[in-house]
Amino acid sequence: MIALARFQMAGYVRSLRVLHPLLAVLLIVGLVLLQGPSGPDASDLAVGTLGDTPAFMFPIWAWAARALLDTQPDEQRALSATAARHRSTPTVAGLLAAYTVNLALGAIALIVPLLQAVSVKAPGKAIATGCALCLLVALAATLLGAWTSRAIIPDPGVSLLALLAGAAALLLLGLGRLSWLAVPMIEWLRAAHHGPNAFVSDFPAVALHLLAWSTIVGTAYFIKTRTNR
Amino acid sequence: MRLENVAFRYRRRDPWVLKDVTLSLTPGGITEVTGRNGAGKSTLLRLIAGLRHPHRGTIEGRPRRVGYAPERFPVDQPFTVGSYLRHMAAIRRVPSRAIGPWAERLAFQHLLDVRLPELSKGSAQKVGLAQALLADPALLILDEPFAGLDATTRDALPALITELTTRGTTVVVSDHQRCIEALPDVTRLHVADATVTPLTPTSPNTRVLEVIVREDEIDTVETKLRADGYDVRRPDR
Repeated sequence: MIALARFQMAGYVRSLRVLHPLLAVLLIVGLVLLQGPSGPDASDLAVGTLGDTPAFMFPIWAWAARALLDTQPDEQRALSATAARHRSTPTVAGLLAAYTVNLALGAIALIVPLLQAVSVKAPGKAIATGCALCLLVALAATLLGAWTSRAIIPDPGVSLLALLAGAAALLLLGLGRLSWLAVPMIEWLRAAHHGPNAFVSDFPAVALHLLAWSTIVGTAYFIKTRTNR
Repeated sequence: MRLENVAFRYRRRDPWVLKDVTLSLTPGGITEVTGRNGAGKSTLLRLIAGLRHPHRGTIEGRPRRVGYAPERFPVDQPFTVGSYLRHMAAIRRVPSRAIGPWAERLAFQHLLDVRLPELSKGSAQKVGLAQALLADPALLILDEPFAGLDATTRDALPALITELTTRGTTVVVSDHQRCIEALPDVTRLHVADATVTPLTPTSPNTRVLEVIVREDEIDTVETKLRADGYDVRRPDR
């Protein structure tokens, strides 16, 4: 499984497809995140940025996951499937590869906010919460990207629309009564901008929501890939 | 390995590509799949390889080590031949040193540093064969393996297939190039009208038809008849 994940990551990086999300991340870092916090509320602002970063990254992570899973030509996907000894190995390896690349992109996006948070002496617990939040949001975004990959939606135009619509719907659902269906972006943004204490104290509920969402969506993805003819 | 009442179609409302397919593959045997273009040969091979799953029926006894060489090897990948095969060896959990002997045997050792998109059709076909053979497969599926190969490799491949079968490998091959017709004890399956029929000399619904053609047209006519799914033999071969 590790070898197959490594093969998919190598293909993604060597094909230079990785440059697309990387440039988007660098653009966000340059235009938004480099404007560091200042003034008497600098610590609060720095923690708010730690909440903003996974919100900015969510669509980029989903896009990168879809692109990575689509890098292998269909026939190569067949060859990889015969090379892997277990039927579920290609699915798990694909998700592992996409999640690993997303963590690397997330690390690049987080460098500046983390340095800013440390420099303004933001609470260590809030900084750790920001990092943990990124790990969980990257997983959810990876699964959204996987659901719009070519193995599930063969038409590239339809899959791109599904990706955009899915990301928008998951955000908008959070505004209404169906917020339990959404990725809890509104909740974590609200908590992050209410200060370090609220960010830390609200994190368990947000984390539980993200884990439950990822478990359900991930399980459905596994079932779908297994029942694909 | 056995297929029992297997039926397959690509989408729910599509016509059946294969229906009521029941057949057995004996360990160490060679099975040749014939049929005209679009009859469902590649679909049958993919079902046997486990790349497609039947809508109805069951497939049992598939070995764990399966080698599959597709009709068109996917060259649109950002690897050199060597790095691609090293990745495939790692996925198959075999050491990289297994690549060298196959590269030598299939005569592409000089291409190991060439990028996949730069390969000719025949060279790409060899890489496709090599990745299928890397892990000493118990079931080897070859979809038109001779297409585009140079004469030397094309002549060497039947002997290689025989060697594998003597070691117990089950080989299933679709072959329009009539390269394995000289091999003994080949089971022939004909795919037509969504069904798979064994072709044997004693098959009650087959007859021998002699066709007289000009010497210079013999290859063309034979290829055409094979493409239409007929079992063609030459008296002098």
